[in-house]
Amino acid sequence: MSSMISKEEVLVLAELARLKISDQEVEELQRDISNILQYVGQVSAVTTQIQPLDIPQLRTIMREDTFSSDSLLVGKREVLLQALPAREGDYALVRKIIHKDE
Amino acid sequence: MNSTDLTIATANDLLERGDISSVELSRLYKDTISAHNKDLNVFLEVFNDIDIQAKNADARRARGERSPLLGIPLALKDNILIEGRHATAASKILQGYIASYDATVSKKLKDIGAVFLGRTNMDEFAMGSSTEYSAYGPTKNPSDPMRVAGGSSGGSAAAVAGGMALGALGSDTGGSVREPASFCGVVGLKPTYGAVSRSGLIAMGSSLDQIGPLAKTVGDAELLFNTISGLDPLDSTSIATTFYPQRPSTKKIGVPRLLLTEGIDPEILEHFEETLKYLTQQGYIVIDIELPSAPLALALYYIIMPAEASSNLARFDGVRYGLSLKGDSLFEDYARTRGEGFGPEVRRRIMLGTYVLSAGYYDAYYDKATQARQVLTQEFSSALEGLDAIVTPTTPTAAFRIGEKSDPLSMYLTDIFTVPANLTGSPSLSVPMGSVMRDGRKLPVGFQLTGHHGGESTLFVIGKDIEKHSSTAQ
Repeated sequence: MSSMISKEEVLVLAELARLKISDQEVEELQRDISNILQYVGQVSAVTTQIQPLDIPQLRTIMREDTFSSDSLLVGKREVLLQALPAREGDYALVRKIIHKDE
Repeated sequence: MNSTDLTIATANDLLERGDISSVELSRLYKDTISAHNKDLNVFLEVFNDIDIQAKNADARRARGERSPLLGIPLALKDNILIEGRHATAASKILQGYIASYDATVSKKLKDIGAVFLGRTNMDEFAMGSSTEYSAYGPTKNPSDPMRVAGGSSGGSAAAVAGGMALGALGSDTGGSVREPASFCGVVGLKPTYGAVSRSGLIAMGSSLDQIGPLAKTVGDAELLFNTISGLDPLDSTSIATTFYPQRPSTKKIGVPRLLLTEGIDPEILEHFEETLKYLTQQGYIVIDIELPSAPLALALYYIIMPAEASSNLARFDGVRYGLSLKGDSLFEDYARTRGEGFGPEVRRRIMLGTYVLSAGYYDAYYDKATQARQVLTQEFSSALEGLDAIVTPTTPTAAFRIGEKSDPLSMYLTDIFTVPANLTGSPSLSVPMGSVMRDGRKLPVGFQLTGHHGGESTLFVIGKDIEKHSSTAQ
């Protein structure tokens, strides 16, 4: 597999990742990401012989569906609101995204 | 009294005998920090209430309270929350953020009466192996200020090595506790996945992250680990200390010889072989083992970690907390906040993570990597049947010069021996094994022991044996 990534691909990734990057960084990322992909790409090459294992290593953790009064955030409403970059009363202030039809 | 000569255990003896108060002890560390922090850039913030915390500890002791950490000055990495204090993960995107709650580890240490000196420097969001990716400049190695302290928990390692804290906490996603411990000449532990609660740790790679202690001695690291570990309802991946059955020690140690054939500093290998020889003299049986998938570990890691990191860091959107910049649209608000708030390495890993998770590439990268991770985990489990530990040097080289590794990939290769423990969830301990001379300076190097799940206590026993050797060798 070719791991050379194009300028356009970098721009699409930046859009997906919600990152504004400079023209110079686009070129740097093109080079860096290509190099890294070339290195990590050995996984695609080698593991074709590996059978997917159906024994999951992850465990399911269950808990009682009850409210706990020692939950971290009980009584923390104001503290959390204070962390908001923009606030109106007890609400987070966000940009208007729905506009009336002209 | 010199702060670099004390350990948690010896300081506790002094407190216990009344030879020193916690206020006096904390001032000793505060003074050492004042003398060196400007040059070494170890702490991002030194707390202004150290005296008050220490006075409280002294009062608790006067009331008859006892605990081996009561009144002991410690340092915490800047990605571990302490309620009411700043926490930035060394990133501009969290500049000014004040933690709304205590991390479970912070709460446990507070309850036991430890004194928090400040928050230590790190690679931004724990992404790096040298602390050079901190938005606040690199931490310098106390053994040679021209060199890095390692990373990402470089500030925590340098604090302990430089007598600026008696112990510290770091976080280890791919070696971020063990590698700086090795570079700075202190002990560092990456616990079994789930052994220590991650609640209140700013997340990077959630299937890999563990909080771990850094300390002067194995005994001190053990004490810190026993204090912070345990099941926590606030972290569903945490486990009780009894979760994995304890195994009797076999006194057998495995060496994956094929991993040690190239790219390793010959002097480090000499120290490694010498340590193995010493262990043999102590009655350990050293055998060669094979880990066929281990050469792939670094590649797997640099797929899985950025994938998880890019998902975790999606929460930094300028709406909830931290930096918030405005553009011409909602999209622009996000892109500007994240583009300017995150540093270059964080942006790079987010981009890489986005790539390996995107349609068309997911199967080739992320899916393959998670499969290979399971194979690697099974190889480790089988190899560790009948073994106490798998051992390697902690790092292929001693601390490198600041600015030496400008290419990201060459920086990643530093993690070659440390990432397998994170991928397999195994506990892994780095213990100093001597030093190498570079530019007329003695640079410490570490010996790494990786054990079976829940096998920390076995690692501590072997670590203490190695410690005896290093102390007589110096």
